[in-house]
Amino acid sequence: MSVKGGQGERQVSGDEVDSSSATILHIDMDAFFASVELLDRPELKGKPVIVGGTAGRGVVTSATYEARAYGVRSAMPMSQAQRLCPSAIVIPSSYGKYTHYSRIVMDMFRDVTPLVEPLSIDEAFLDVAGARRLLGPPGGIARQLRARVREETGLTCSIGGASTKFVAKLASTRSKPDGLLIVPADRTLAFLHPLPVAALWGVGKATAASLERHGLRTVGDLAQTPREVLQKWVGPAAGGHLHDLAWGRDPRRVNTHRVEKSVGHENTFAVDVDDLVVLRRELLDQSERVAARLRKAGHSARTVALKLRFADFTTISRSRTLPEPTSVAKRIYEQAVELLEEQSLAGRKIRLIGVRAEQLVDGDGDSLSLWSEDDAWRDAEHVMDAATERFGRGAIRPATLLRKERPERPEG
Amino acid sequence: MRFQANRDVFSEAVSFAVKLLPQRTTLPILSGVLLEAQESGLTLSSFDYEVSARTEIAAEVAEPGRALVSGRLLADIASRLPASAPVEVYSEDSRIVVRAGSARFTLLSMPVEEYPNLPAVGTPTGSVPADAFSTAVAQVAVAASRDDVTPVITGVQLEISDHSLSLVATDRYRVAVRGIPWEPAGDEQPTVTALVPARTLQEIGRTFGNSGTITISITGTEDRELIAFSSEKRTVTSLLIKGNFPPVKRLFPENVENYAVINTAELVEATRRVQLVLEREAALRYSFDLDGLTLEAIGSEQAQASESIEALLNGNDTVVSLKPQFLLDGLGAVHSEFVRIAFTKTENPNKPGPVLITSQSSKDKAASDDYRYLLQPNLLLR
Repeated sequence: MSVKGGQGERQVSGDEVDSSSATILHIDMDAFFASVELLDRPELKGKPVIVGGTAGRGVVTSATYEARAYGVRSAMPMSQAQRLCPSAIVIPSSYGKYTHYSRIVMDMFRDVTPLVEPLSIDEAFLDVAGARRLLGPPGGIARQLRARVREETGLTCSIGGASTKFVAKLASTRSKPDGLLIVPADRTLAFLHPLPVAALWGVGKATAASLERHGLRTVGDLAQTPREVLQKWVGPAAGGHLHDLAWGRDPRRVNTHRVEKSVGHENTFAVDVDDLVVLRRELLDQSERVAARLRKAGHSARTVALKLRFADFTTISRSRTLPEPTSVAKRIYEQAVELLEEQSLAGRKIRLIGVRAEQLVDGDGDSLSLWSEDDAWRDAEHVMDAATERFGRGAIRPATLLRKERPERPEG
Repeated sequence: MRFQANRDVFSEAVSFAVKLLPQRTTLPILSGVLLEAQESGLTLSSFDYEVSARTEIAAEVAEPGRALVSGRLLADIASRLPASAPVEVYSEDSRIVVRAGSARFTLLSMPVEEYPNLPAVGTPTGSVPADAFSTAVAQVAVAASRDDVTPVITGVQLEISDHSLSLVATDRYRVAVRGIPWEPAGDEQPTVTALVPARTLQEIGRTFGNSGTITISITGTEDRELIAFSSEKRTVTSLLIKGNFPPVKRLFPENVENYAVINTAELVEATRRVQLVLEREAALRYSFDLDGLTLEAIGSEQAQASESIEALLNGNDTVVSLKPQFLLDGLGAVHSEFVRIAFTKTENPNKPGPVLITSQSSKDKAASDDYRYLLQPNLLLR
């Protein structure tokens, strides 16, 4: 769904390109959430469709290319999107469906190679160097995969192939939608250098503006600037990194064991809130979700972090480390509430609140304890997990949350 | 105020009074020691709203009166005064003068009238033999948590019923328990529990170790509960920690048939040696079989070590992975020539059964004290 660096025209490769050196594929589903929704409502095909939250401050999570033509983008407030494209049909997100299709396509990727690194629900890196002997050159593998995804799910994806991860990702972006772009190793610089600097990973608005002030507009400009000069302009680490990327150097390998660093949930209220009861209830709900995800992944967290955004958009984060790692919602909730209560809100209204579990460890951590305050709760919450598994989310909930109507909101 | 006292007696009294004062206080006045000279003698006290200490010594009082001076400074001075001469203390304008022989100190006198009243000590609940109490505190408090995040487990739980006082402490990784005789003050002893900060209790154990009998009184008013320890004109009070102590006593297994008996000193020595190559927080591997016990430090790339010692095994061959410091704490607490390490079974494959450490007076005879130390092993790697 990434649209970064999407300026300029679409590029795709023909069959004749020698793809043998482009062993890293980046696969990105096209307008994933929107396309999945269209599977159920084929009559909407070809029309501008937006998926996202509709209530109050909902944001766009996905939009068909027809809607994007009007300037609709992911993460844009829904109200703005609807102003840009009044004819768009808005569909609320249904996360379960997306997870279902995500699993199907990820499994297809794993049929090609075990070296699959999922980046998010709808994109992944594949290292097909080893698969070449069995399945042929990467270009052929990519074409077969695209065909299989389309046949078996009705969805389309775009694939970029290159000898490094970041070029593969750039290539998939350039080939969108429903395209394939192979950048052979010896064509890397020719592909990279005409691109705008903002196309590079790690170049945000601020860096791009700073580079532009020094007259650097394309990746080629970056490459021709001495490394030391770049480092002086944007900092030693970022400067060196950009220079490497500009010359197509990216040593990162496809990593199948990407360990989650943290698990969090946050929510923007439809109307700013200063009622502690409401805030605590929201924290309880988020803590339940965070803990359930921790347990599902077999993790515990050492640190609990609270994020608050006030009505004036100032945002603060506060965190605290627990005496021992936990995966119990009650503990996470208590810690989050403590952090909240330490903030003197002094009547300031809160726009967004979020809970995050950080410093994850496997299982219950390395040091086993004889007992834990969490024992009783952990058992109770395992029962909740089992009920959720069987009857769906919300089958068992804390009583405080029973009457709460959850506002729609974007996820992912 | 003016009095004269024996130098050693005075020094010891000051040191007792200030020992429990925290290193840093929020109110400077609470770092003081209160001197009260009366016809009957001299009273020294300290109080920081959590803990108080009070003692009475003989003194020749020329002018009764009260004074408040810096506790630590007075203790330092008192301990260095010339040994031969008596100590003379008197007020002079807004200062306090301390003299012994030709040595003379002038200290700032803090405002006595602002000093809080010491808490009143209630009627006695009962008493314990000081030496047994002192030993038990040292054996149990070692397992208390030092992490203030969870206040209830930074304390030692005292449980009194009938004629026994049991002490319990835990930091989640181990639990230590010991029972000692209790003499109720009344005819019947209702069941009472008190959660006392471990650090305070350890200091009390050290201070009162040779005092014969310690009288304990536990009193509760609406918002705060207090425990007082008194012996031979010395009294220490402490607020109790609020909250419920976790029910950790039930973690102890009933009967364990699989155990080993080892010479305590040999095991301590071997553990200290082999752990030299370990990284911090890493565990030692203890393998028990019919040939004895083998200790191995594994998991470090830099260095490895192993050693075998004699051990009498009853039951199956067993391997456990233990943090050396946790084991040493238990071994240091058994106070017996031999130690029994018992291995409990578990259903959970991800959590080895805890080991139970008890004292053993000889290779085949358990010691009479009922000290028990339960320790959770780490997962076995490799």
